[in-house]
Amino acid sequence: MSGALGAGVDRARLELRMLLRSPRELWAQILGMVVVVVVAGRLADQAAPGGSVPMAWYVVSGFVAASLFFAGMLNVPQMVVAERDDGTVLRMRTLRGGLTAYLVGKLLFCAAVTVATVVGTLIAGTLATGMPLPSTVGDVAVLAWVVLLGFTAVTLLGAAIGTVLPNAREGMMYALLPAGVLFAISGVMFPVTAMPAAVQAVADAFPLKWMAQGIRAALLPDAALARQGTDGWQLPVVAAVLAAWCAVGALLAPLMLRRMARRESGSRLSARREAAEQKAAVVGR
Amino acid sequence: MTASPAPTGPAVEIRDLRMRYGDRDVLRGVELEIQRGECLALLGPNGAGKTTTIEVLEGFRHRSDGHVRVLGEDPATASEAWRARLGIVIQQWRDHGRFRPLELLEHLRRFYDDPRGAAETLELVGLGDQATQPAGKLSGGQRRRLDVAMAILGRPDLLLLDEPTGGFDPAARHDFHELLRRLVSEEEVTVLLTTHDLAEAERLADRIAILVDGRVVRDATAGELAASLGREAEVRWRDERGRHAVRTEDPNRFVRELPIDVEDLEVRRATLEDVYLRTVREDEVTA
Repeated sequence: MSGALGAGVDRARLELRMLLRSPRELWAQILGMVVVVVVAGRLADQAAPGGSVPMAWYVVSGFVAASLFFAGMLNVPQMVVAERDDGTVLRMRTLRGGLTAYLVGKLLFCAAVTVATVVGTLIAGTLATGMPLPSTVGDVAVLAWVVLLGFTAVTLLGAAIGTVLPNAREGMMYALLPAGVLFAISGVMFPVTAMPAAVQAVADAFPLKWMAQGIRAALLPDAALARQGTDGWQLPVVAAVLAAWCAVGALLAPLMLRRMARRESGSRLSARREAAEQKAAVVGR
Repeated sequence: MTASPAPTGPAVEIRDLRMRYGDRDVLRGVELEIQRGECLALLGPNGAGKTTTIEVLEGFRHRSDGHVRVLGEDPATASEAWRARLGIVIQQWRDHGRFRPLELLEHLRRFYDDPRGAAETLELVGLGDQATQPAGKLSGGQRRRLDVAMAILGRPDLLLLDEPTGGFDPAARHDFHELLRRLVSEEEVTVLLTTHDLAEAERLADRIAILVDGRVVRDATAGELAASLGREAEVRWRDERGRHAVRTEDPNRFVRELPIDVEDLEVRRATLEDVYLRTVREDEVTA
């Protein structure tokens, strides 16, 4: 077992090195931070409606939550599908402890990228808007556990979703739609209070809203609470919902990854590849 | 450390292997045995079930019926430690495209008890010059050689190679044959490979099995297979009326009785290709 864990750490290290080696992918990661600077910078002077907290600070805090969420719900499934279809998953299955190493490596790699993205977004946001970085131990701790729980939940869920997507190209559409809807109704950039109850209930059931709220709790001054429309930051609820989704993900992801890996074989790879090529040919015609 | 159990019994044992997808029978009672240290080539037309057979041995596919033992274990229930003793090359691998061969092999070494050196393995398959080039940028033949490198990294007891030389140029093919022969003779690796290249099968394999329509219809050495067509040979020549080709049981006498002024006289003994083609056609008719 320790061998598989060590190999997982090694995979994460290698994948990070490859990310750093590839300027294009690196830029894709940095792009989000650039957007924060531009968007938030333009709003720097505007106060948010109904309060003294600048709108721009909401944007920064919302970006942290959104980048966490989309990394988990879009990048992770795409990675899983791509590595299923190129045979990486099958290769890992031929190795002793290979699937464990694969999972551990992916989680660590994504975690490292997430930490870098959150820190980068915060620094970029602070520079652009003058938003103070979390300074009290309490705020830093809240930020840390919300990011940790949120990351774990969406990464595991994303991995589970990836196992059932037909191929990378279509997979993005299937994953993007629900993620986009959730983004729209969850009040990520700005707390939403004027939603129909049914829609509100859907948002309440998923992790995104609570990730955004938890991150606001850590980053924004308590003056922002006025806009929240709730009694306090509801941190226990944030923790409970995110932990519940972590549990669901921890249950589903290894199960479904193993199930997917078990069904892989050389001829399955080629069947799927042929189907994708045929589809591409039809589209291209 | 898990030491391999003492080698007893055949490396591969297949009895009455059946595979059915829906109402289509792909394998209809395959019988095959490969002794340890033996190299067996599995030939057969597309769709005969070669890949399915190999996937059952790999444990990637579960058989519908029959008895299968690979290195003494049932692939359907065998452990990961068992699979670590196999080296697998499939046609479809494009994995780890962003890894460089050297760092990829260094990484994969962690999964084995007594692996070869990474650089040494790349040299063995002739990829020494591509060690730091991303795997996704390798040519088709180079990529396949990387697959072979990954397959032999852990010093496997059994190599399962599904069309390992597809996309190889003649030089690469030659080098690969050398490598395989060395592995078989020096390290007593057991090899099962599928191929469409009959010359390759003849050169490499101790034994050749021909799979047609889900059954092994021939299983013999290359020499035995060629002899099975008897002394039959094909005589070709050219004269003023054009080109001729005649099959005969007695080429000596036939040639003696030819008119004196023939040109381009050629006598070809039955080759593995003749046996193969005849076998495949006969069995497709009777099947």
